[in-house]
Amino acid sequence: MLWVDKYRPKTLDQVIVHQETAENLKKLVTEQDCPHLLFYGPSGSGKKTLIMALLRQIFGTSAEKVKVENRTWKIDAGSRTIDLELTTLSSTNHVELSPSDAGFQDRYIVQEIIKEMAKNRPIDTKGKKGYKVLVLNEVDKLSREAQHSLRRTMEKYSASCRLILCCNSSSKVTEAIRSRCLNVRINAPKEEQIVKVLEFIGKKEGLQLPPGFAARVADKSNRSLRRAILSFETCRVQQYPFSSNQAIPPMDWEEYVSEICSDIMREQSPKRLFQVRGKLYELLINCIPPEIILKKLLSELLKKLDEELKHEVCHWAAYYEHRMRMGQKAIFHLEAFVAKFMSIYKAFLIATFG
Amino acid sequence: MAPLLQSSQPWVEKYRPKQIKDVAHQDEVVRVLTNTLETANCPHMLFYGPPGTGKTTTALAIAHQLYGPELYKSRVLELNASDDRGINVVRTKIKDFAAVAVGSGQRQGVYPCPPYKIIILDEADSMTEDAQNALRRTMETYSKVTRFFFICNYISRIIEPLASRCAKFRFKPLPEEIMSNRILHICNEEGLTLETEALSTLSSVSQGDLRRAITYLQGAARLFGSSISSKDLISVSGAIPREVTEAIYAACKNGDFDLANKEVNDVIAEGYPVSQMLAQLFEVVVEVDDISDEQKARICKSLATADKCLVDGADEYLQLLDVVSNTMRSLCNMPQEFSYDI
Amino acid sequence: MRKIRDTNLMILSSDDEDDCDYKPNSHRSYTKKPKSRSFITRTNPRQPKKPRVSGSRSRFSRDSPNLFEVGFPEEDFEELFSWSKVSADSGRSNVKELWVDKHKPHSLEELAVHKKKVEEVKSWFEERLKTTKGNLINNVVVINGKAGVGKSTTIQVIASHFGARLCEWNTPTPTIWQEHVHNTNTGIQYTSKLDEFVNFIEKIRKYGLIPSSSSEDAKPSIILLIDDLPMTNGRVAFERLQSCLLHLVRSTQLPTAILVSDYDEADSADHTARRLEQLQLSLENAGACKVSFNPITNNSIKKTLSRICRQEQCSVTDEQLDLIAKGSGGDIRHAITSLQLFCVKPDLVLNGSYSTPSYSYGKEDDIDALVSGISLLFGRDETLSLFHALGKFLHNKRETEVANAITPGDAFLVQENFSRLPLKMDAPEKVLCQAHGQARPVTDFLHENVLDFISDEAMDDAWHVSSYFSDSDLLLSSFRGMLARYNEAENVLQSAAASVAVRGVLFGNSHPSPPRWHAIRKPKLWQVEKSMLHNQKEIVRQRFIAYNGSSSCNVSDVATGYMPLLKWLEHRASGFEDNQALVYCNKTDGESCDRMGLDDKESDISDDEIEEW
Repeated sequence: MLWVDKYRPKTLDQVIVHQETAENLKKLVTEQDCPHLLFYGPSGSGKKTLIMALLRQIFGTSAEKVKVENRTWKIDAGSRTIDLELTTLSSTNHVELSPSDAGFQDRYIVQEIIKEMAKNRPIDTKGKKGYKVLVLNEVDKLSREAQHSLRRTMEKYSASCRLILCCNSSSKVTEAIRSRCLNVRINAPKEEQIVKVLEFIGKKEGLQLPPGFAARVADKSNRSLRRAILSFETCRVQQYPFSSNQAIPPMDWEEYVSEICSDIMREQSPKRLFQVRGKLYELLINCIPPEIILKKLLSELLKKLDEELKHEVCHWAAYYEHRMRMGQKAIFHLEAFVAKFMSIYKAFLIATFG
Repeated sequence: MAPLLQSSQPWVEKYRPKQIKDVAHQDEVVRVLTNTLETANCPHMLFYGPPGTGKTTTALAIAHQLYGPELYKSRVLELNASDDRGINVVRTKIKDFAAVAVGSGQRQGVYPCPPYKIIILDEADSMTEDAQNALRRTMETYSKVTRFFFICNYISRIIEPLASRCAKFRFKPLPEEIMSNRILHICNEEGLTLETEALSTLSSVSQGDLRRAITYLQGAARLFGSSISSKDLISVSGAIPREVTEAIYAACKNGDFDLANKEVNDVIAEGYPVSQMLAQLFEVVVEVDDISDEQKARICKSLATADKCLVDGADEYLQLLDVVSNTMRSLCNMPQEFSYDI
Repeated sequence: MRKIRDTNLMILSSDDEDDCDYKPNSHRSYTKKPKSRSFITRTNPRQPKKPRVSGSRSRFSRDSPNLFEVGFPEEDFEELFSWSKVSADSGRSNVKELWVDKHKPHSLEELAVHKKKVEEVKSWFEERLKTTKGNLINNVVVINGKAGVGKSTTIQVIASHFGARLCEWNTPTPTIWQEHVHNTNTGIQYTSKLDEFVNFIEKIRKYGLIPSSSSEDAKPSIILLIDDLPMTNGRVAFERLQSCLLHLVRSTQLPTAILVSDYDEADSADHTARRLEQLQLSLENAGACKVSFNPITNNSIKKTLSRICRQEQCSVTDEQLDLIAKGSGGDIRHAITSLQLFCVKPDLVLNGSYSTPSYSYGKEDDIDALVSGISLLFGRDETLSLFHALGKFLHNKRETEVANAITPGDAFLVQENFSRLPLKMDAPEKVLCQAHGQARPVTDFLHENVLDFISDEAMDDAWHVSSYFSDSDLLLSSFRGMLARYNEAENVLQSAAASVAVRGVLFGNSHPSPPRWHAIRKPKLWQVEKSMLHNQKEIVRQRFIAYNGSSSCNVSDVATGYMPLLKWLEHRASGFEDNQALVYCNKTDGESCDRMGLDDKESDISDDEIEEW
């Protein structure tokens, strides 16, 4: 088992980072009044961990015994029946699913499936909560219609079913849903906090950490706790005992993006563009999301550019990322961004150096 | 088991007015509707306005007050966005309900029970145009026995023919005193104490949306106990602390791209919603004194485009960075056109 | 009794019982029948290949419903050809025959096919027929070309030229359902045409052809002609066909010609077209020789038509001949039939109900009426292949200077850097329409290939072109997931997107690289998308491994976070693993492009021919 999972806190008491939030959540549920919750924050900050710990707090250990179900739902949508297949994780008291898996049919998930689940009230034995919890992942990927449907469902079935929503950025969640939930912001841990966690893991694993090593790992992790722990484990696999100046290996796709960046800066021509296209294909094949590619590429480029170019480049990055969202084939827009950069940079070189 | 349920009920539902006269602040609407109650004469209605101002509450209250709990089910049809309201449903379900004949109006006890039915279409702005068009005919045909209540946020999303058949009522955002009264009432009921500034913070943070205010209140109460401070409310509401906004603005004024980039990264890492950040930046820019109108206009334009892109689903970091870059260029009087642009 | 054309045709009947029933017949040139499957001889190419034969040759009809015989008695002929009865007043010598058959070329000189091609094929056969050893690996030639371009005629003429006997397989019409029902009622079994073909091929391959004992030559040379491949429906059937043909290619002793008609050329989204190309490619790889017959030039057609006219003693003016030739689009069969129809009723056109202007105004209008009439009646739908269209767009040929002076107030003036020289082709939309190009594939193809055609210095052009592709993608995605009722709008968007992409390429590529031969590649993007989906499924499955199985992780987090680590761990654990889905390879460009045999379409056309476009 990876360290990420092995040392994940299971209860709200064990949480190291976000201690305050954990305490508040604990207070929230012990007073038996859990509203709908929306957890939002950057990736790798610990939202899921907190949600699972929260469920454990509410329902006890039964929340950990989940089984994966692959269900097909037959939905009657007016003139036709739609077959939707969805994978859910369920325990006796909660169900977790990702409605955005259904693509543009996610509206039906919200309208039908949640209603069905919400309707079945759990039998209340003493001490147990009188409601069921539904955990929805990636709600920022839900379509607008689905979010519309969700809000009414939330109101209607609030007696029997609480929703816990999890997303990366709450901008993409509509106002209406945000106003019906208690918004819990989970910020990315500060570097000191990450260092603390790494040292904790190191101690548990019985490792010797040279001074500053944990700080370096935390620094490279870009404030993502998951990333830091994964890197840490990679270092361990790579070489132990650690040396104090041991290189922290970056993720392979990040290295690849750096390569692309240096390629672009070295030569700007249609031939080079074609080569870069091939490399972008490689990344896409490995399911690296295109917006992450674009952002990483931008950050690498920004490190090497002059001030005046930075404004322009980031403008075009935003422009093409937006188009990429609205379009279908990411490569067209990625390539257009690279082409524009090459074009700008070439003009800049000619203007500066003649 | 019953007490358990009550305490887990959201306060929004718990304190939702059941009678029209309790609806806060919408005097005009209340007046007309009270009249309706007395005369049992009612046109088609269209309630529109920002969220959390009492539209659904009013519609439900009227319906309950007209018919009472017994007849409610048979006389009132409620459809909202979570129900399928495509054109098929309009042609079948709604039409069928509308066509059912109704007995003559006689008072059932306290309730006037007028000789028509009510169809409440909540969140009507999410109905498609085709469905709305199909509804026109039904409205005309059965207007004697059925009244339609439309509830929506934006009246522009209701097609003209439908809107013209209805009496339109605009629900205004609630002013501070009204909200405060209501909040204080709830605080008394629930046994909470608010610090001095908390009340005004609450109304500014909720921006005229009473539902939001009550939800924040409940959230803060649950998270922080029965004594609630301003800070608690801010953290519950997801508003961004003023210092952060000001730091960004200062970085833009400074003109150093890398510093601004770092600030933007911090905002994203903290998880603040960027649409909120844009709104707050907007307020800062509008209020500041020492920049020209033209600069302000340029900044606001870039804020607006970024907001639209966010709604389309673009990435937050890139959009915020773009805004910051544009702001910096306006503030520092850098050339507006890119020199390497074609 | 009509004279049957004197080709050396052989009919091989189906079973043994026929052997005893053999009756020599002066109409036909039978030889002893070896055991092989039967097939059709073709007398009339335009005739639908009827599975039913006339009653008098019933012994064949029972077992091989697809036998279609040469030399009918008069009444049968009448019955079958009644639809083509020509009015008796026309004064032709034998009105009942189609000119296509009547004027079939008998010698190499009469062939309208390009001389070079005929030479090529002829020398190929010569080589094979001379050496009796048959040790040559490639005994098969694949001839492809559009319909009516002269493929089987060429083979027949060449066969008669060498005095070789021609053993033919004509693809029978597939049995349609009603027919099958009818047949089962009369006790005839359904046989899959593919099965028949496969059996025939197998028999030929294994046993060769037993030479006739009654013929004069010691060893008559035989040419096997497979005219058109049977229809295959589905991948399994196709693969059967493919393997059967591959066997044939590798092991046949007889010189064989396989004729393949290209119907619509390569919209590669089309399965059947793609399969045919794939088949041709695999045959070539197995050693077959490939010859492409191009559409016949207008001049050749005109020559043939005038020859026929002379023989038939009908008067057709030169312009009219020209029009007919042009309207046929390189299909000489079509041209001859049009000529026949035209000569039948030359006034048919002028009396026609089509939008011909009144012709009484003078001679000029006669011609005009004729023009419009002819093109309406005889014109052929010019389908341009997708590749030709793509080639036009990518090569971007323009006039060398602005032809007309721009009259002020007339033209739409643009800035210097936006103006381009006039195009040397029809409007791009028209070209797209002719090629039946759909927006998505066209955009993908252009995207894949355009960078080759931009000069290496012109980075700005590359950006322009890329930005237009980005626009085009937006237009194409606008209605993702919408309902079918928006179909109207969707079509507009699709055409707009295609236009944007094409015109973007044409406009953006203002500094084209020096013209040289480029193969047009299949978009690698399709392959990438397939792999991506596959990998995504993998990752989705892995999603539940995280969180000790008690929760699930986002797909993107798994891809960017877990996967690299897992790969690293595996890598360490098992030495080197070629987990190909997750490995980043630094391929040099050029290796990774997926060149299909589609390139060969281009290879047949030299640079000179490219100029024609």
